[in-house]
Amino acid sequence: MFKSLKVAAFLAFKAITRGNLGITLMTIFMLMLVAMNLLFVPGLINGAIDSSNRILIKTYSADIIVEPEGEDQFITNVDSLMKAIESMDGVAAVTARNTINAKITFEGKQTTCTIVGIDPKRDEEVFEISQNIIEGTYLSPRDRNEILLGVQVAGADIKGLELYSSSLQHVHAGDKVVVSYANGPEKQYTVKGIFQVRFIQTDLQAFITDLEFQSIIPASRNRASSIRIKLEPDTNPQPVIDRIDNLRGNLEFKTWEETAGLMKSMTDSFFLINQILSMVNFLVAGITVFIVTYVDVVNRKRQIGIQRAIGIKPQSITLSYLIRALFYALTGLALAIIVFKYVIIPLEMRHPFTFPFGAAYLTTKFTVTARMSVTLLIVALIAAYIPVYRTMRTRILEAIWG
Amino acid sequence: MFDIRNLSKVYIMGDVPVKALDDVSFTIDTGDMACIMGKSGSGKSTLLRQLGLLDQPTSGEIYLDGQEVTKLAETARATLRLQHLGYVFQEYALLAELTAHENVYLPGMMLGGKDTDYKRKGKELLDLVGLGQRIHHYPRELSGGEQQRVAIARALINSPRVIFADEPCANLDTISSKRVMETLVSLNRDVKVTVLFVSHDPDDKKYARNVLIMSDGKIVDRVSNPNV
Repeated sequence: MFKSLKVAAFLAFKAITRGNLGITLMTIFMLMLVAMNLLFVPGLINGAIDSSNRILIKTYSADIIVEPEGEDQFITNVDSLMKAIESMDGVAAVTARNTINAKITFEGKQTTCTIVGIDPKRDEEVFEISQNIIEGTYLSPRDRNEILLGVQVAGADIKGLELYSSSLQHVHAGDKVVVSYANGPEKQYTVKGIFQVRFIQTDLQAFITDLEFQSIIPASRNRASSIRIKLEPDTNPQPVIDRIDNLRGNLEFKTWEETAGLMKSMTDSFFLINQILSMVNFLVAGITVFIVTYVDVVNRKRQIGIQRAIGIKPQSITLSYLIRALFYALTGLALAIIVFKYVIIPLEMRHPFTFPFGAAYLTTKFTVTARMSVTLLIVALIAAYIPVYRTMRTRILEAIWG
Repeated sequence: MFDIRNLSKVYIMGDVPVKALDDVSFTIDTGDMACIMGKSGSGKSTLLRQLGLLDQPTSGEIYLDGQEVTKLAETARATLRLQHLGYVFQEYALLAELTAHENVYLPGMMLGGKDTDYKRKGKELLDLVGLGQRIHHYPRELSGGEQQRVAIARALINSPRVIFADEPCANLDTISSKRVMETLVSLNRDVKVTVLFVSHDPDDKKYARNVLIMSDGKIVDRVSNPNV
């Protein structure tokens, strides 16, 4: 076997170094494009998924959501519970939220949204909404007559918004809006700020301080519709959930993944698209190697016949073609990885693709790249083997003299 | 060495069976310098290809040192070709991407052994056929006669028991032909390798100790030439 491999490597090396340079470069270039395509699609999809997950956690769900169990509307004794949670290992920050539905009116135009009562300081430690203010400023803990609107509620004259037509359209920071709460009260607020996190479900919310919320629903004092927990990086949420569950019963827990219904269906669709495009790309890679090898063995049929006639083992000749296919695929792959990592990704970082949930940055994951590389190499080997196998089945005399 | 018994080869040309070899039987002794002669289409190249294990006869047997070789699997035939048989084709059958030296030592590499051994032997054989100064030349840089001598050197790399040469001078000028034939004679004389060559040129009889005359797929005469 070693002798066969040695002769195969020798023949492959000579064919590559002394064969047609143009064909070799073109084949490598084709395989590089295919490999780049194979890196790009999952890179974009993984980037989009990472981006959407990040934005979901940082602006909408946090890492863990604690809610009252069953029909209960509120978690009681929230202050003491939050203190207990804060002291747990792996917990970075905690905030309580109360929510109520309301209608908001501005200059005769009306829209509905969820009003969220928050402690601005605590909420800022868990979420990044305060970092995405596009007009005005974020809430202060003592604010009473101010409201923070999501851009999909305010409109802010940004006509390109997904839900612009159903928004208040022309509201800007400093404007006054009237909020009609679902439980009856109606109150005028000054728009303190408008935020845009580029995640529609968050941008459809409005925020007031917990002080103001308690004035609307006095029963909400020391109570919360939910508690949101931010974990330290790489913390497993389950032990934290177990500890809270042991601390206080009658609570329900959700991780951020369980709130990602929309994202989940998007991720599934992306995954399917990725599979289809990958299959097409692997097919293109296979056909490229097949054609190159087929043309080569047809042109060298006589040489192959001579090699067999002088005693070169069929497996050596076959192996030499497989080594060449491996060389093309490996070189194309290596070039694709280098170009992707050092040219495409930095370029895309400067001009990212924008989705409804934010900018998606291309990423490379080792497992995805490794799986793609191995599959591409296997496809190249199979594609090269078929024409060589067919040629090796012809009689020596037929190979030499036709 | 070779014992050929009732060898036949039938080609199917369209629907018509054509007998290229018709019940051929003869023997070749070790160390012989034999020539197969005959008109074009007489079956001499077909016979050589059966003996060189490049093709399989329709019927009959070939015994090489008592071993029947026609029914062997291709891998075993490849091993026999590699170890015991050298073949020189009518056309210049060198590998274009390899230098003269590489062409010569390739079968040696396939057989195994140290790199230095088969590379050294490759050089020695190129010296032997008078091409010691051209070892790094590619086939396209060599004349027809030189290419044919490289092919002879290649056939010798694994110290075969027999060399088959299928009209080795068919495409060569007179001087090159003489050089190639003298190379074969000297190998037979000095290296003691058995040589069986095919020729349609009556002048080539003078190089052979035994001449087999073929016609219509049969051996019609066998002439000895004790002066060689």
